[in-house]
Amino acid sequence: MRADQKTKKPIYFGWYVCAATVFVAFVTTGARSSFGIFIIPLEEEFGWSRFMLSLAVGTGFLVNGLTQPFVGRLFDRFSGRTVIMAGLVVAGLATASLSLTFNYLYLFFVFGILLSVAMSGANITITMSLLSKWFHRKRSTVLGINVAGASLGGLVLVPFGMFLLQATSWRVTWLALGLMILLLALPMVHFFIRNDPADMGLQPDGDTPDSSHEDTSSRQRGPLEVEEWAHSFRSWPMWQISGAYTVCGITTGMISAHFVPYAIGQGLSGTLAATVFGVMMALNVLGGLGAGFLGDKLGRKNLLAGVYALRGLAFILLLVLPGATGIWIFAILAGFSWIASVPLTNSLTADVYGLRALATISGITFLCHQVGSFVSILAAGLLFDITGSYTLPFAIGGALLFPAALSAFSVQERTYSARYQTPLPTAAAGD
Amino acid sequence: MAWLFSFILAHQGDAADPELLHWIKERLDQIFGTGPWAVVALMGLVIISIPAFVVIVYLLQAKRRSAAPQPNQGTQKYEKDSMEEFHHRVR
Repeated sequence: MRADQKTKKPIYFGWYVCAATVFVAFVTTGARSSFGIFIIPLEEEFGWSRFMLSLAVGTGFLVNGLTQPFVGRLFDRFSGRTVIMAGLVVAGLATASLSLTFNYLYLFFVFGILLSVAMSGANITITMSLLSKWFHRKRSTVLGINVAGASLGGLVLVPFGMFLLQATSWRVTWLALGLMILLLALPMVHFFIRNDPADMGLQPDGDTPDSSHEDTSSRQRGPLEVEEWAHSFRSWPMWQISGAYTVCGITTGMISAHFVPYAIGQGLSGTLAATVFGVMMALNVLGGLGAGFLGDKLGRKNLLAGVYALRGLAFILLLVLPGATGIWIFAILAGFSWIASVPLTNSLTADVYGLRALATISGITFLCHQVGSFVSILAAGLLFDITGSYTLPFAIGGALLFPAALSAFSVQERTYSARYQTPLPTAAAGD
Repeated sequence: MAWLFSFILAHQGDAADPELLHWIKERLDQIFGTGPWAVVALMGLVIISIPAFVVIVYLLQAKRRSAAPQPNQGTQKYEKDSMEEFHHRVR
């Protein structure tokens, strides 16, 4: 009888929430990443320079980072589902309306401002905060899946957009991407996303009230759990996590903007440099999934420290080993560690500071990451112009990763994380 | 100055580099060897199949969900409230 009941147990609703957030990440990241395919058609039709178009992208990048804490605040105070749905509606309409582009200011406003603010409501920082409510024991695994969905979105939707553009026009392609958000992602959110398992009478991870697990984190709170985001700054882990994540932004920004030019400068052909970069992108999907899964098994902070140290080692090997050898080894190591930091950082933040102000706190750490990226891209370009090589900026980036690894490693996870706290008194926990 | 903002599938999915995209498209053209519409249709099918798969699984599970005992929402709410009260008292 008991075995029979077990086999008939329905899939935990949290997995549908996870599937919906993965698809949201897939579509929104893919649509946003697709801007690159429109650059040449827009240059040809309107005569806009590459710098003008890049300025719209860069502004969007900053606006997205700056608005994230505020949108996170809305998520924490009101309904997360509403924030995601509102973000998707505006993002879908804004993407579709890019098909009407007729003037540079129109493009700048719609892509650089409107779409970027809207994307703050539906990006992985927000969806990861939502998933953290649905999964406690499998939190890191699920966040890894979410991040991998975002990476896959770039890998699938960008080529899709390219072929659609070739078959039709850039206007039709923008419209199709916008409709994809409105007609596919939005209904998924409507049907499958709920704010909290308690709203459906469920427990995190699909546990039943009488189930006993070694890790009963769903009934525990860490000593640093906060009601207000500002309180998180009174404790070390916030500074340690944000500091390390800033270095993460510095190094990923540097790689994303300067790796291909560096590889070409080392004697690789443009085609081979692009191949290496493509391999790196594909590996980051595996890195995100693997880090998420291992994070639940081995704990977050040691693995996070390992990810930063691995990336630091990749930078050293890039500079020490000559030509293609160093570049390929770098691509493999950096590919695995590129996005692996995201699920680990977010799950560690949720474990330490709880769920009440998580989206705001994650928004702040995301902002630190974005600022790090922006500054490093500028600085690396400036140093290249001054010294004529990328050796100095890459050496600085690589060197910063080791303090970042130390910073992550020194987080007292066992002391502060809810995962390692003793269960609450039975009566109070409601058992 | 163009390098300043030319992110290539960066950490948060920023705009991809057009040269890289052109190269990817050429590789895909070689692999598929068909017109753009065939690739659009194939990839479109893959994209649509994701939400379709989730919906199908959800519908197939309907019988199990209705057969499973419904969680007692009242008790759960009480548990949640009493837990919050406990934490406030501890503070």
